[in-house]
Amino acid sequence: MTSDRQPLLQGHTVSKYFGGLAAVNNVDFAVYPGEIVGLIGPNGSGKTTLFDCLSRLQTIDSGEVSFKGRDVTRARPYQVARMGLARTFQSVRVYRKMTVLRNMLISHQWRDTSLLRMLRPSPASTARRAHQLLDFLQIGHLAGEEAGHLSGGQRRLLEIGMALMPDPDILLLDEATSGVNPTLIETIKDRIRTLNAQGKTFLLIEHNINFIADLCSRVYVLNHGEKLAEGTPQEILQNEAVIDAYFGA
Amino acid sequence: METGPPPNKSEESEKKKSPFRILAPVHSLLAGWTGLALWLLLLLLLALYPYTGVSSAALLVGSQIFVLVTLASNWNLIGGMTGYVDFGHAVFFGIGAYIMGILVTGSPLLISPEWGFWQALPASGVAAALFALLVGLPTLRLKGPYFSIAMLGTLVAMREIARVLRPITGGGVGFNLPPVLNRVGDYYLMLAVMGLVVSLIWWIQRSEFGQSLIAIREDEIGAEMRGINTTLHKIAAFMIAAFFTGIVGGFWAWQNTFIDPDIVFVEARTVEMVMMSMLGGLGTVWGPPLGAVVIYFLQDFLWGSLFGVHLLALGLLLVLIVLFMPEGILGTLGDRSSTSLGRLLSRVGRSK
Repeated sequence: MTSDRQPLLQGHTVSKYFGGLAAVNNVDFAVYPGEIVGLIGPNGSGKTTLFDCLSRLQTIDSGEVSFKGRDVTRARPYQVARMGLARTFQSVRVYRKMTVLRNMLISHQWRDTSLLRMLRPSPASTARRAHQLLDFLQIGHLAGEEAGHLSGGQRRLLEIGMALMPDPDILLLDEATSGVNPTLIETIKDRIRTLNAQGKTFLLIEHNINFIADLCSRVYVLNHGEKLAEGTPQEILQNEAVIDAYFGA
Repeated sequence: METGPPPNKSEESEKKKSPFRILAPVHSLLAGWTGLALWLLLLLLLALYPYTGVSSAALLVGSQIFVLVTLASNWNLIGGMTGYVDFGHAVFFGIGAYIMGILVTGSPLLISPEWGFWQALPASGVAAALFALLVGLPTLRLKGPYFSIAMLGTLVAMREIARVLRPITGGGVGFNLPPVLNRVGDYYLMLAVMGLVVSLIWWIQRSEFGQSLIAIREDEIGAEMRGINTTLHKIAAFMIAAFFTGIVGGFWAWQNTFIDPDIVFVEARTVEMVMMSMLGGLGTVWGPPLGAVVIYFLQDFLWGSLFGVHLLALGLLLVLIVLFMPEGILGTLGDRSSTSLGRLLSRVGRSK
């Protein structure tokens, strides 16, 4: 079981309010090393807000977040990123006016933040890694293209590539399959499996239930900012409350 | 057999190729060591220029152009590369000018003995950079127009402070600096400062530091989430830009021998920096220097031929640049232009 191990990423009674609205309310959350965990829920249930709280883009109003056993409740996003947390965004964030390769290179640079390193161009080893990852994600032929010229699906793959560049311990993917054609979804699924087998931990927000059921060992369900259920995909799919809230039965 | 994808791909890449085939390699060459080598060669030629027996008026023109190039390049570091459009950048020019004035005359503060020019010049830069740190910490948290307006407010506020602090600044009437006429010295000093600043910008743009600045411009949240300490980067860029703007301000005060709040803390100087950067190509290394040279001679021409309405003409020019050439000269002629003028030029090029 997972409970005897130290969680990699943990949220304890995390709450986030927007005015009077509790976007995330008292949520306990843990992801253990080597897992693929899903986070599902209807629109507006607080999934992305919880992601933002965990990755420190949003300050939280109460509760604690810890990563690798360290309290990061007050850390800045770049600090948790440097500790080994990478994420993607619901609406893709790539540097549109840069080439695909440059996007990749710049996502790696903080691995060495010495002044001497910062004052020099990215080394050849970083470029090699970027090309390998782009090939792995099947967008190697686009390395010289401006990121703004890519299709939505290609941009999603690039964003995943950028998240992978610094070799993070955990990847938080926010709707990695939305707007992506079925062939590419299979590619993404396959790559997540391969990376997981290599030891990467994943936390996925998804609307695509098959995607979650195929990949995840555990699933959290949010509704109205609260944790509605937690369990294996099979348990979740048979949970009355989840069916009621999420599938609208 | 799959025959679809390969022809499609080549067709697509063919379509994207610039008709200005010559420009694509020129662009990539200029970004690399060749660009720097050509720049150093140009500096060498400019260094030999005074030996060709030119008049001192020509040397004055030279140093004025070097001032503009330096200002445009500095503004471009924060406004073009980092994407923080600073409408009050002239405040650092003013601070540099006043620090120079106060230190070399010693009169308003009765500093005794007065500082020499060579001690006061770096002090002008350091004072401007420290002021950038002070102002940047709160204002660089603001985004888009809020930052621009906050900096404009800072400029106006500093002008009023200079007016009010009469014992130190001489108030609204300003004060005179010792008149020292040395056109050759001025020429070489500004040539050196310009050479240094443009080379520095070239270096920064290639470095991971510079690429991080561009990442911040493109998507600040994404940059922060990918491990870039955005606050530190923005402050560093802001301080570098302010330091050299302060140096130029100090030099300008020395050369002009008179300063008052209205001539050094003036919005028009910021507008000039913005215009030169935009005309040449925002965020590029060579665009702002090119824009500065074009604007200098254009101003000169308009002043000579349309005196009385030359400012109106210049204002109209700014509007036209923003409308038709938002990517500037280098951007519009470049390989990746997305403006209508750039596409029009591409079509004209293709039909040939």
